[in-house]
Amino acid sequence: MAVRRPGAPRSPLSAVATGLAALAAVLAAWSGWSWYAAAHDGTAAFAQDRDRVLAVGEQAVQNMNTLDHADLSHGLDIWESSTTGDLHSQLVQGRAEFTKQVQQAQTVTTAKVLSGAVTELDDRAGRASVMVALRIAVAAPKNTPATKEARMLAELTRTGDGWKLSALGQAPMGDSAANP
Amino acid sequence: MTTEVPADEAPAAEAPDPELSPADEASVDEVPSHEVPAAVRWRRRLAWGAIGALLLGGGGFLYAGVEARDAPAAANRALTDSAATDAVIAEVGSALAKVLSYSTGDTAATAQAARALLDGPAATQYQQLFAQVQQRAPEQQLILSTRVVRVGVVQLEGDQAQLLVFLDQTAQRKERQATMVAAQLSVTAHRKDGHWRITELKSR
Repeated sequence: MAVRRPGAPRSPLSAVATGLAALAAVLAAWSGWSWYAAAHDGTAAFAQDRDRVLAVGEQAVQNMNTLDHADLSHGLDIWESSTTGDLHSQLVQGRAEFTKQVQQAQTVTTAKVLSGAVTELDDRAGRASVMVALRIAVAAPKNTPATKEARMLAELTRTGDGWKLSALGQAPMGDSAANP
Repeated sequence: MTTEVPADEAPAAEAPDPELSPADEASVDEVPSHEVPAAVRWRRRLAWGAIGALLLGGGGFLYAGVEARDAPAAANRALTDSAATDAVIAEVGSALAKVLSYSTGDTAATAQAARALLDGPAATQYQQLFAQVQQRAPEQQLILSTRVVRVGVVQLEGDQAQLLVFLDQTAQRKERQATMVAAQLSVTAHRKDGHWRITELKSR
């Protein structure tokens, strides 16, 4: 009998449906809360920031160690777009002089990032430090091509246009403590 | 209508159903499903629809939540877990400084440190290298000291870690000027009994 008589037990179908509805409601509520917690988890956002900083940092360090005299203005444009702050101003100011030097030397410099790691990240202040190991190949018409391993420390600053390089230098060798 | 029809079935008879013949209406005991009143049928459809929507929505949230948590970025605890990051940096840094610093006059201490701090391929590699050092020790009179310049954690997941290490290595031979070289290493480490041991070393 599909239709319930007064006082008769509910049909099995109806009981199953009620149970299912309750389960579905609980699942929806719990999973919604769980998703909300995951989406607003500061750790997950920080982790994504860290990975972004590393990707941008590695790319910027590689850009700053890559320059082809035959495609100089494009290369220097990339330098300028990878940087911000004082580093950026220095590049803009020294551009003419630097162009002259590279055109004279006719060098082609190519860098490849071997490994990199974020060593500091302040996502509120928008500052980060990155260490990068890279291989740099330099070719010039008068010299035999040379390859060297380099290690660099970079600082990044968050700008309106994403993370940019704000400082870059070789990791210094031989601090006073270790110098014999 | 027969007297067997219960009160709550009465609307069924009133519901317009062109397919229903008088003969069908008479055999109420069998109550075919299409005799359920339209209002009830709509309520049922709504209920099933609601259940379906809740299940779909719940499933969707579940999927989105798992995606957010298990994203590769979140699984890597480098920097996000600052205590764990500091611990692996300190232990791997000090292990490297110990095993890569030795005096040919006293190799026993370094060999012992290496046994405690290295594991897997790194241990094998180191033993081969160190055997050569010990062989040549008397004539070389070399003091190698290694200083850690900077350590960064590339990946930290559970008991596995990958690091990038910048080192300064100073070699001092008898009656000669000390020479210093920069070294960059990719290091793989794993944690056993609460301590990090280096399993792989790769020069960069």
